[in-house]
Amino acid sequence: MCVPTVAKACLLLFCLIPATADSTHVFRQYCFGCHGKSSPMAGLNLVELTSHASVAEKFQQWEKVAAALEQKRMPPEKMPAPSDADRLQAAQWVRTRLRDYAVRNDGDPGRVTVRRLTSAEYAYTIRDLTGLDLKFERDFATDTVGGEGFTNFGDVQFMQDANLERYLTAAKTVADHAVIGAGPIGFYHDPGQSGLELSAIHRIQSIYRSYGFRAASGEGGKPYGLERYSKAFFAAWRYLHRAALGEPAGTLDAAAASEGLTPRFVRHIWSVLQQPSPVYPVSEVISRFRKLPAPQGANRVEAAARTGCDDIQKFLLDWPRFLLGAGGAAEGGQGDERALVLTGDSIQATPLQRFRFAVRGRRQKTTRLYISTVSANPDSKDKAVVRWRNAIVRFRGADRSAAGEQPLEALLDEASRKKLGLGAQPSTAPLEFTTTADSTLFVDVATPETAAGLEFQTEAAIVPGVSGDAVARCTISDREEVARGRPTSALLAQRGPAFDAWKAGVLKFAADLPQISHGEPTPSDRDPIPAPFNPTYNQPERDLYHIKVKYYRTDGFLTGNMLDDATRRRLDHAWNDLLASFGYHDAILYFVAEKFKVDLKGKVIAGLDAAAIAALPAEPRAYIQPLRAEYESVQAALRAAQAGHVEDCVRLASQAWRRPLTVAEKAGLRAFYARTRQAGGLDHPRAVRALLARILVAPAFLFKLEPASVAGARPLSGWEMANRLSYFLWASMPDDDLRRAAAAGELASPQHLERQVKRMLADPKARRLSTEFFGQWLGFYRFDQHRGVDTGRFPEFTDELKSAMYDEAVSFFEHIVRNDRPVREILFADYTFLNKPLARFYGVNREVAGAGFEKVDGAQAFRRGGLLRLGAVLTATSAPLRTSPVKRGDWILRRVIGTPTPTPPADAGSIPADEKFFGGLTLREKLAAHQTNPACAACHSRIDPLGFPLERFDAIGRWRDKYSDGKPIDDATVTHDKAPIDGVHGLIEYLKTQEKQVLRTFYQKMLGYALGRTVMLSDQPLIDRLVDTGGDKGFARAAVEIVTSRQFRYRRESVPAVPAPRLAEVKRTSKEGEAKWGEE
Amino acid sequence: MGRGMNRAAPSRRAFLRGTGVALALPWMESLPLRAAPAASNKPPLRFACVYFSNGVEPVHWWAKGAGASMELGPCLTPIAPFREDIIFLRGLYNQAAVASSSPHLGRCPNMLSGAMVSLDPNDIRVGTTFDQVLSREIGGRTAVPSLVLGIEPNELRLEDGVSMIYGSAISWATATRPATKEIYPARTFDLLVGDGAGRQLDRSILDAVLRETHSLQTRVSRTDRVKLDEYLESIRDIEKRIERASREERLEGWRPSITKPDMTRPAEDLPQDVPEHMKLMLDLIVLAFQMDKTRIATLMLNNDLSQMNFKFVEGVKGALHLDLTHNGKAPAAEAMYLKTNQYHMQQFAYILDRMKKIDEGGQSLLDSSMVLFGSNLFDGDAHSAGQMPLLMAGRANGALKTGGRILDYLDKGDDNRRACSMYRTLMDRMGVTLERFGDTDKRLTDL
Repeated sequence: MCVPTVAKACLLLFCLIPATADSTHVFRQYCFGCHGKSSPMAGLNLVELTSHASVAEKFQQWEKVAAALEQKRMPPEKMPAPSDADRLQAAQWVRTRLRDYAVRNDGDPGRVTVRRLTSAEYAYTIRDLTGLDLKFERDFATDTVGGEGFTNFGDVQFMQDANLERYLTAAKTVADHAVIGAGPIGFYHDPGQSGLELSAIHRIQSIYRSYGFRAASGEGGKPYGLERYSKAFFAAWRYLHRAALGEPAGTLDAAAASEGLTPRFVRHIWSVLQQPSPVYPVSEVISRFRKLPAPQGANRVEAAARTGCDDIQKFLLDWPRFLLGAGGAAEGGQGDERALVLTGDSIQATPLQRFRFAVRGRRQKTTRLYISTVSANPDSKDKAVVRWRNAIVRFRGADRSAAGEQPLEALLDEASRKKLGLGAQPSTAPLEFTTTADSTLFVDVATPETAAGLEFQTEAAIVPGVSGDAVARCTISDREEVARGRPTSALLAQRGPAFDAWKAGVLKFAADLPQISHGEPTPSDRDPIPAPFNPTYNQPERDLYHIKVKYYRTDGFLTGNMLDDATRRRLDHAWNDLLASFGYHDAILYFVAEKFKVDLKGKVIAGLDAAAIAALPAEPRAYIQPLRAEYESVQAALRAAQAGHVEDCVRLASQAWRRPLTVAEKAGLRAFYARTRQAGGLDHPRAVRALLARILVAPAFLFKLEPASVAGARPLSGWEMANRLSYFLWASMPDDDLRRAAAAGELASPQHLERQVKRMLADPKARRLSTEFFGQWLGFYRFDQHRGVDTGRFPEFTDELKSAMYDEAVSFFEHIVRNDRPVREILFADYTFLNKPLARFYGVNREVAGAGFEKVDGAQAFRRGGLLRLGAVLTATSAPLRTSPVKRGDWILRRVIGTPTPTPPADAGSIPADEKFFGGLTLREKLAAHQTNPACAACHSRIDPLGFPLERFDAIGRWRDKYSDGKPIDDATVTHDKAPIDGVHGLIEYLKTQEKQVLRTFYQKMLGYALGRTVMLSDQPLIDRLVDTGGDKGFARAAVEIVTSRQFRYRRESVPAVPAPRLAEVKRTSKEGEAKWGEE
Repeated sequence: MGRGMNRAAPSRRAFLRGTGVALALPWMESLPLRAAPAASNKPPLRFACVYFSNGVEPVHWWAKGAGASMELGPCLTPIAPFREDIIFLRGLYNQAAVASSSPHLGRCPNMLSGAMVSLDPNDIRVGTTFDQVLSREIGGRTAVPSLVLGIEPNELRLEDGVSMIYGSAISWATATRPATKEIYPARTFDLLVGDGAGRQLDRSILDAVLRETHSLQTRVSRTDRVKLDEYLESIRDIEKRIERASREERLEGWRPSITKPDMTRPAEDLPQDVPEHMKLMLDLIVLAFQMDKTRIATLMLNNDLSQMNFKFVEGVKGALHLDLTHNGKAPAAEAMYLKTNQYHMQQFAYILDRMKKIDEGGQSLLDSSMVLFGSNLFDGDAHSAGQMPLLMAGRANGALKTGGRILDYLDKGDDNRRACSMYRTLMDRMGVTLERFGDTDKRLTDL
């Protein structure tokens, strides 16, 4: 630190100033009259002030005294005044004493009362600790403002039983949201048992989403993750050509990692590609893979290889669709409820099929029908030949009545007849024709005008002998691209060993390269459900499954071929929790018993021991035995997790208490759990919840404790620094990186502090600095709940508008904080943040997207931009029915310039609330009394001129050109220091001349917020240094300078710590009392 | 008054608390109620204070005559049906309020203590208010020592550099700590209705953190220890309340007229409608008294410097403090200001009406109560605190003579018209005798 150097430099400076004699006599002579002991003017008692040995305690008053002397504001005119020399000397005497003290005590950490979490800090900390946004009441901890105007000031953070009750309730609410299952403790936004169930489903689905893939199935089901196939093939290609690609040491795992895949999946794909004698369709995949281009020297052909891999992936998806007649993958299969699972049941072939194909509506004079025959085993040496016969067409009338039935041949035009080998003239001979794979033909069927649809029926048979082992899919559709229509189709083949071999090949393909890596945990209507439930859609057993059992785990491919071990474990935990979260096993047990008519004598799964199961008939036993085994393993997993949960709590306590725990503290927490279970008789989840509540109501959580230093000032420990940093910048607890830095001792180094500050300010959590610090400093805190507007007068001021104004202000400062903008932009920015409703309200003629807020540049053009023109600020500084130039002027003087005037005298009087009572005068004319009455003028000549320039913004921050009664607005004025100001633009220009003072206020407030105390005289050198570098300093730089200051990094006591009095209940104090907290 | 707490509290315990010294209270076995007076068949005495902020317009606040023929100023008209139940108190004041340079915050939080308000931003300090002295001394006789209620939350800003907590709290548990004001009707209801059953787990949680806090005490600075003491005391207070609530002590003598609440639990959220909110809070005070869950209650109808929008009163527009109190003497605005104070007065009439109608074995709840109603300022526009507009009602089991009396102290000399001397008299009635309170060692004559 450079503090000593600066101090020396300053001391040197003081040596150059001639010693100034005590000027108390000047005050006695000229000032004590009004500023004496009894009812001193402006609350300034100079008798008392000059009697203090130190100037530190009331330094602000001293500064005012010096300024009043220097600016000749005091003594008032017509009162006896000191000579200019005396005046100067007195002022200098004050200044010297002030500076002398400040330099001698530069960097004094000051006394900081232990701070309790404010309502906002509590909510943020819980959110960061658990991920929960529990919507605690805004003011649940009963905040109060003190110090430099912030809720984080320890002296005003009172604690009473009512507060503690609320903390206790909140702690129990958080604990209720803990997920206590087979895995580590987590938190979920639904509490209790249903939270366990919902969180399990959530965890399962998020693993499925992150690692799995799925072609469409289920109503509205959307495919996802299928690109993992293409990537896996590419990884395999890359591994295959590793030498040519210049990666001779490349591994499958490395290739997997570079594609963002698990090694397990790529190894699986590799092994599929390496199998020795593949059969169709796997053989097709392998052959396509082998045909991928190979890198040739500098030409890596990666793009071409990728395209090829995409094609292979497309084949994987298209082929089962083709086989099952489900249309092409190009359609995404949306709306198709069928799960594309190739199973022994779903692959059925027949030598003879009777087709019925319906076409609804009549579009043309003729209806075109497509008949296609496509091979399902193109590697077969034979081609399928299919014979079609008995084709008839039935038309349907508009009333859906059957309107006759005719043989197809009677309805065909000449071209179609030719295709089918018929003569030009209609004939009555039965039609018969053959098709051969792979072919599609169409015929045009004359359709009468009265027809509202037709049904086409025909028989197709695979011709034995000539077709050999061929398997073909025959499809009838009214669209050329069958995917778009509602085709009817069937697989035609001769049954026999060759067919069985083919089917085995297809099933192997389905197992190795499936369409879905897992079934949905909650099966949809057409998804498979386990035996012995009847899987038929809309059947009672299936409904029972949906209602009572709900979940079905079919993720063998994912767990076997994709997930890494850790994720697999997490998935197992989640499934375990899901099955344990309700009577899953009992529901199945009950159903099996019903189905097989077994009397379980009221026993539930927990009560069925091995003997009872052995006594069951074979059929139900086959289901109940594994059910009981699964139940036992679920219960065992829950029990096994219990010890870990207690340790999770201990870890969580360390996070929540924001420091490492002592050995005794850890033991105390474990003992509390044990006690609650044994003496309290609570089950594991309840005891864990009690433990969590106990952690969250502990003083170490609720208070930001810093152990007392023995004597004088001491540097803060790494953990204390981490806490101060995170509560300053995030209003919340330290995150992992900050904890790591604290543990590593990095936070003693200014370089590391700087890195942390920059990292933290860029984080989204730094928005809280905007709501908490800027909001409280500038008076828009909780503006979204502002009630100060009379909505009868201003119906436009809706809740939506109110929260939009609030968002504008918060987003504006968030931008400055997170993008490290120059601090001068606080006042002088030429941008603001708008959403659509707010832009409309402001009358901004710009394109703003929608409900979200976006930065709009060039805001001066539409009279916005910067602090002074924020709707929230303009509204908060107005009266319910009208603007208040006094409030606005006072706000600028107090909060922006930082030189507030004294409290008005008690009998100052007031002006009416409503412009309507102004008796025809404008507000400005009404306020003219402030200038004519000398009692008012002293202060109001400073206040009012700063408020008038904002008069063109009405009481809800909207631009106006005249008052509501049509009177013109006069927003030109002259400040007390004789600067003319014309409107808001002039005001901003004026404030530019006051930049140092504005910066001084900003830094004073920021320091007060950062430290949680009032700013002291000894802080002045730091503030001077901050101010001196000007308004172009970035926000992050300013924050770094505060964080690396001695006042931020040290602590001292106002009085030395003394041992606490012995307590009557000492005998109750356990060994915890000897914990070495604070000595880490 | 020095900086310390009100000097006269007779008990050493109270003194220790006031100074924030860690208490050597045996908390486990001390749960027993403070030896209650011998079982009596008479209902216990209750005290309530209903406060409104920002004073009145002086020309509207007067009373003449006595009894049924008492004449009332315009502000007081809503109380006319109860004129025989009240005492009109004229001229009472707090010296420290008058002396303060802060027209609002120097005169509000000390209304019930007569203490000087510290305007040093680093030192929040007023004085224990007499309702909280009562709470501390006799609050242990009931499940809830006292109710401290309000309508508006603490305002989160500084007023002239001073914390607005001063304008948000009229009940102070110690010289440096406001009693936590409850503004949620539902939470107040739960406090009254909850019994200690089912809170064993809470007790074990609190027990554990209590011990942990003791172990921290030795490691923090002295000022921080004061904060931890507050925390410890809070734990003990909850534990005591749980203990008391789960125990039914009343084996003989007088019994409350109801044991179960006769109102439904208010909605969870803060009422958005001010009249509804005020009515609920008044009902809850009546409920608490009727069930004998507490005998001491204060209610702030609004905070000092309140911006409560009074548009819910017909013909009124604007916010209480800025618009209506400081009305620039415009006749129309003055008329609205009057209506707001009449509205406050209606609240007083409402609670008197309710208390009067509750029979407690031959006498009404009001008969065994003392209800103080008023504001800390007289002329709200001028912030004058030279006298306070105050009314008393309730016969205090016969100890207070109401009947529509006017007690005028204005010309009796400053020493004989101190509000604190009335507070001493009221505390006497409640069985708590202090040698000195606030700015006086006298008692109010004639009350």
